[in-house]
Amino acid sequence: MTKTTRRTFLKGAATAGGIAAFGGTAPYFKKALAQGRKHITYLQTEPLTASWDPTSHTILGQIYFEHHTYGKLIQTPMRANDPEGIDYDLATGQKVVDEKTIEYTLRDDVTFHDGQKFGPEDVKATFEYASNPERPAGTWYPGQAEVEIVDSKTVRVRAADGSYPGSLFWFLAGFLPIMSADDIKNNSLAERPNGTGYFKFVSREGPTTRLVANADYHGGKPEIEEYISTFVGDANTRLLSLLSRESDLIERIEPEQYETLLNEDVTTVRTISTENKYLHFRNIAPFDDVRVRQAACHAIDRSLILEIMGPAGHASVGQISPVKFGYTDDIPNSPEYDPARCQELLAEAGYPNGEGMPQIDYLTSVGFYPKTKEYGEVITAMLQEQGFPVNFSVMEVAAWLESTFDLSRYALADTGWMTGSPEANLVVRPMWHTDGGILSDCLSEELDGLIDKQQSITDPVARKKSIQTELMPGLAKQMPSFGLFTSVLIHAHDPALKDLYIYPNGPMDLSRATWTS
Amino acid sequence: MTFILTFLLRRITQGVVIVSLVSFLIFTLLRVIPGDPVRMMLGPMATPAVMEQKAEELGLRDPITTQFGRYIENMMNGDLGESYLLGESGGAAPSAQNTGGGSVTDEQIVERTKTKSNRAKVLKLIADGLPYTMQLAGLGLLFTLLISLPLGIAGGLKPEKWQDRLAFFTGSFFISLPNFWLALVLILLISTKMNLLPAIGYKGFAYTILPAIVLAIELSPVMIRGLSVSIASNLSQGFVDGGILRGLPWSRIVWRHIIRNSSIPMLNLFGVQIGGLLLGGVFVVEYIFDFPGIGKLTIQAVLQRDFPIIQGVAIFAAAFLVFVNILVDLIATYIDRRLNY
Repeated sequence: MTKTTRRTFLKGAATAGGIAAFGGTAPYFKKALAQGRKHITYLQTEPLTASWDPTSHTILGQIYFEHHTYGKLIQTPMRANDPEGIDYDLATGQKVVDEKTIEYTLRDDVTFHDGQKFGPEDVKATFEYASNPERPAGTWYPGQAEVEIVDSKTVRVRAADGSYPGSLFWFLAGFLPIMSADDIKNNSLAERPNGTGYFKFVSREGPTTRLVANADYHGGKPEIEEYISTFVGDANTRLLSLLSRESDLIERIEPEQYETLLNEDVTTVRTISTENKYLHFRNIAPFDDVRVRQAACHAIDRSLILEIMGPAGHASVGQISPVKFGYTDDIPNSPEYDPARCQELLAEAGYPNGEGMPQIDYLTSVGFYPKTKEYGEVITAMLQEQGFPVNFSVMEVAAWLESTFDLSRYALADTGWMTGSPEANLVVRPMWHTDGGILSDCLSEELDGLIDKQQSITDPVARKKSIQTELMPGLAKQMPSFGLFTSVLIHAHDPALKDLYIYPNGPMDLSRATWTS
Repeated sequence: MTFILTFLLRRITQGVVIVSLVSFLIFTLLRVIPGDPVRMMLGPMATPAVMEQKAEELGLRDPITTQFGRYIENMMNGDLGESYLLGESGGAAPSAQNTGGGSVTDEQIVERTKTKSNRAKVLKLIADGLPYTMQLAGLGLLFTLLISLPLGIAGGLKPEKWQDRLAFFTGSFFISLPNFWLALVLILLISTKMNLLPAIGYKGFAYTILPAIVLAIELSPVMIRGLSVSIASNLSQGFVDGGILRGLPWSRIVWRHIIRNSSIPMLNLFGVQIGGLLLGGVFVVEYIFDFPGIGKLTIQAVLQRDFPIIQGVAIFAAAFLVFVNILVDLIATYIDRRLNY
């Protein structure tokens, strides 16, 4: 009789282990990577959609992608030291002709990726198509635009119904990818991206998209010859991928990951973004009373929220980001943390110490913005401390996206608003004008008047003054939404990668990026 | 032969009913839980009017029964629908003909609101991801067996001895490691710090090894425990003493009698494990390792409310589970002719 002894067991286990270790895996026990220095692998946090048409979506990830493949009349890099600066791209100049009209002079040495020459008819088709309110991205623009082709190098843009000044495109043109008139006419935009950008589309395989350098780019062929972009949903996976050099560039670094990366051989980039984070009030009790909204703002100590945000937050005043046209930190009636004033306002509104106040449902997301759950809990605690009966709900992204636009359900909701231009109206109008009101409905005719007034001013200096001295104090008085802080975008990349520029709304300019040894 | 035919007919009929019920359940649940796929397609800035138009275009405003009927009809024709978000793989941009450009008419603008797109076919997405998932699941199961068989058999044959304790300790240790945590730790140590194995994405077979190890560590405890308990209980059976009295070699008693008798519960356990792999472990592991299989496809689809993909994968998974269970029962019947499933 043969029994299994310790020796025979160990012999069998060692044999099995040996097969596993050497027979199966040994040939692969080395890096299967051969990272070239002429391409960039970028891990994106949002997938691209099924349509390549830039007007078919309002999704940030795809807007980032379009930055490489599509040119614009102008670029608005929103540099920290010059947030209103403009770089000319397909245009060589822009000027306000009259109250209704803005004029662009165009380059005549540009071709689309399919070889067609760029011309004024492309600008006309693009503006008229993209500003159509029936297009999903039409909401970025103030209304249907109309373009007059003056000559082969000049176009004039105005509102089709004269309802807004053409000068609104002063910054907005930096957000609009110029499409080919033929693609628009032939309804072929969705099939492949065909722009004038420094990278050309090659292929899309599952979540991976490949672009190559555009040798005919009017700014000169980029040194980076190939750009590979892959959607990777998990933040830790993206980080580990960069650390193991399977990717070169990643975005949306979490605050705690940033601290880790400071000790690693990677370059981190912090960019003050165009996005403010808000606490939106909805026009349901108790926030249908402006005094309660003001009281809630006085109950919240924003310095605590900034502590939680760490490197991902930047202190700001008011409702727009410091890189937006019209930003000011001098808003005298902007509410600060003041529990005593909070109690006064609550008493005036008939809720002394919060007594008799109906339950407040507060909604936030997890997995979309950094730390929303964490600072949401702190906001809840601060409001409860002053007597607000807050019920805090956290939802995953898809459920939250649906619920947050339902203004009748949650009295408080937390969102950000990232836009791709210094233009303040991209924030102000959809959120706080009664034409929009998509996240707060605590609005008024007075606020509409202030928004319309600044929009109608053609002189940029006078318009900026109107935003700073009338609109911002007006928003602070009405308080439909409380600006908590400005988001900071954190990217990380291989330290050998140089000369890339990250826009404050997230896209990257890789046209001059290089690899150093 | 008659038995097999009746068996297959009965089980396949049951399977069709199960798959239909699962399909309807998933189809309905997706449409009642919060999360609007149209919002995910168009982004946060899309107006309610544009969203409504898109929802109607996709048929999402029809009654659920109408939508389900349409879905089943298409499925019968081999069409599982198109992803709401994922595009077809594409080649280089074709060179467009110069048609002269010019302005756009109102009719053209209206026509274009019915967005043309390159939405990917769900069947193709599943077919593309399946070989990767099968490779990962296969290697994971192989590693599981390599770990579980020696430990489980030795532990079962030596109850209360160090072999049994080793099997128990290993199983307890493995089961206490959450797969997502273990995956991240292994990527950090093995791939990032030691540069021994690649981990993120897929550029060759080597990318399967680390995720397969994570799967094996997740699956082994149940297999180890199942094996050792089953073998230990068979050890006390009369046929073992009978074999010894008849003078049979111990190895023959073990391999021909004890392990054979233990194999039926193990086979059933193995069938369930494959289901567990498909529905649980593989999905999480693929997502963390960015492994391009069906699991990653499904998790992304769930997060983005890509209904056609979720429905397609659910039907596929249900059909696969039914198939595996039929196969397991068939093999069990072959091993032990007394069984009648």
